[in-house]
Amino acid sequence: MAQRLLLRRFLASVVSRKFSQGWGPPLTSQALQTPRGLTVTPNPARTIYTTRISLTTFNIQDGPDFQDRVVNSETPVVVDFHAQWCGPCKILGPRLEKMVAKQHGKVVMAKVDIDDNTDLAIEYEVSAVPTVLAMKNGDVVDKFVGIKDEDQLEAFLKKLIG
Amino acid sequence: MAAMAAGLRGLGGRFRWRMPAVAGGVRGAAQGAVAGQRDYDLLVIGGGSGGLACAKEAAQLGRKVAVVDYVEPSPRGTRWGLGGTCVNVGCIPKKLMHQAALLGGLIRDAPHYGWEVAQPVPHDWRKMAEAVQNHVKSLNWGHRVQLHDRKVKYFNVKAGFVDKHTVRGVAKGGKEILLSADHIVIATGGRPRYPAHIEGALEYGITSDDIFWLKESPGKTLVVGASYVALECAGFLTGIGLDVTVMMRSIPLRGFDQLFKEKSLVKIEVWSCHCGDIKHSMAATKEAPCRQMSSLVTEHMASHGTRFLRGCTPSQVRRLLDGQLQVTWEDHTTGKEGTGTFNTVLWAVGRVPDTRSLNLEKAGVDTSPNTQKILVDSREATSVPHIYAIGDVVEGRPELTPTAVMAGRLLAQRLFGGSSDLMDYDKVPTTVFTPLEYGCVGLSEEEAVARHGQEHVEVYHAHYKPLEFTVPGRDASQCYVKAGCRVDAAWTLLTQSPPGLAAEMFGFQMVCLREPPQPVLGLHFLGPNAGEVTQGFALGIKCGASYVQVMQTVGIHPTCSEEVVKLRISKRSGLDPTVTGC
Repeated sequence: MAQRLLLRRFLASVVSRKFSQGWGPPLTSQALQTPRGLTVTPNPARTIYTTRISLTTFNIQDGPDFQDRVVNSETPVVVDFHAQWCGPCKILGPRLEKMVAKQHGKVVMAKVDIDDNTDLAIEYEVSAVPTVLAMKNGDVVDKFVGIKDEDQLEAFLKKLIG
Repeated sequence: MAAMAAGLRGLGGRFRWRMPAVAGGVRGAAQGAVAGQRDYDLLVIGGGSGGLACAKEAAQLGRKVAVVDYVEPSPRGTRWGLGGTCVNVGCIPKKLMHQAALLGGLIRDAPHYGWEVAQPVPHDWRKMAEAVQNHVKSLNWGHRVQLHDRKVKYFNVKAGFVDKHTVRGVAKGGKEILLSADHIVIATGGRPRYPAHIEGALEYGITSDDIFWLKESPGKTLVVGASYVALECAGFLTGIGLDVTVMMRSIPLRGFDQLFKEKSLVKIEVWSCHCGDIKHSMAATKEAPCRQMSSLVTEHMASHGTRFLRGCTPSQVRRLLDGQLQVTWEDHTTGKEGTGTFNTVLWAVGRVPDTRSLNLEKAGVDTSPNTQKILVDSREATSVPHIYAIGDVVEGRPELTPTAVMAGRLLAQRLFGGSSDLMDYDKVPTTVFTPLEYGCVGLSEEEAVARHGQEHVEVYHAHYKPLEFTVPGRDASQCYVKAGCRVDAAWTLLTQSPPGLAAEMFGFQMVCLREPPQPVLGLHFLGPNAGEVTQGFALGIKCGASYVQVMQTVGIHPTCSEEVVKLRISKRSGLDPTVTGC
């Protein structure tokens, strides 16, 4: 266990410089922490999704990806289940990303498109969207459905971080 | 790694990770179609209104149920998700676009009511289409979640029978699965018909499968057909400001074949009281709309901008260099040929059952030689005892969501819930959502006369004007309601010539009112919110309401609905049915 953590930290220091260039291989959440704690707000109008939207937000591609970057993450993860056809999701998404980015890497955000990852969404009992899960050590510790304002999101995130 | 993961999460974690399904992967491979060892208690083929209702009901009764659903893309390439025709390319998007069109009318009325709205107000197809499509997609998701919640297994595969207990499903990627079940329900519905004999029809035309999913406005449109699909589509397209022409071969609202017989042609014979002694040919036939009502519907559409080409059939569709479509047709009344240019040609010339790829012969399921629809008995059972069929795919059933849903649920209850209740297809209400809506329940006037005889049918009718139409000065000429009631005589009537009979008949019928109450055979309402109006009266008619009870019901004022309970003038009387004032 300790060896894995050490390995991860080593990898993090090696690859952290690649962030500023945008694209990179799927990384564990630990590696996403940067010393400078950059705050990046992605353009919500972007229709082309890259794996990583910002330093603290990334798109989930499939089940194994979720397992790797969310369930196995040592950093708490906020999971935003959303859909292309969901109006409120388009409001909540950027707002949540912004609030997550403000936490200086203490929490990261995984975005899951429920049409692309139907089985995953159903497994996590998502019925309405947006559904946001707070996950720590692979467990769902908190959850909300629908839109929240920035203060509410701040409180939600602070509670997750602990 | 897995052990690490488990360690990290702790034992008994609520969301245990398990291998996700590979896209197009196989789950639930069949054990073999041996009785008692089959995969499912119930396999439903078709995830539409009927199929989903049946599956969920059976699952609620504790059975092991699977649904297979697959949408073959339209020739245009349109495809959609779980939910069937109603959700994706029928009722739902139709009603939303109908609402968009109605709003256009209300916006035009608004200045009269004091709103300072600049006219004309432009309409953006893209915005409407996106909103409608987003809602439909949310329903697709909702159905998916529901199936999961009710523990119904779902496979997105195209199904075909291997034998009478086994179905082969092919996924989009080509992967195959075999599913076996004790009971199978076919609910594959129908798809729009393409008039393949018309040159260019398939290449250049679209159907209702496509219209709701267009990203760009269809522009100047030719709608070919006279069905409710044709009229509803033409209606909302006109309402949002497009140039629309409807081309029909003969009469609007097809499905009605008889001509309304003139009074002078009806023989009045010697008869005596027939109470209860009526030959009621009970068949699961769709009650056809009244011809009179259908004329009023199209009259309204014509006066609001829709062009009608009657007695014409298209012969060819060509694409011009600028991308527009040139349509050539034959005008049967003049014998001449006509041509026109359109951006879109929408075929609404009927629907065909989705049975071709099912390999029904492998299961031994019989279909109608004329329509290819599946033949069933009153228990929805096909020619194979454990195979059933519900919904649009069935011969002689109304092509409506609520009947499919109810039939599906009752079927599940009969199969697994110990019930013996059959689906009653009598007195099913429905509404055509044309710009001026037409709601009806029970028999059309023509059918009532055909079944009971002219002398046994009294039709009360009224033209009315919705209050909301007054201020903006909207034309209410087609707002009309009629109810046909069964009349029984207390004594015999001698043969007389119809014209001289009018006054006496009126008086005669009035006396009859005190006889066994005249059950209402059919109600027809043309006006705003016809669906909302008709639904309530459908309950009354289902309960066997009589004309006496109608008369005794107090109206709600001011509404259009109250005109039903205020019906007093019979057609036979010849009096002016126009309602004036309070």
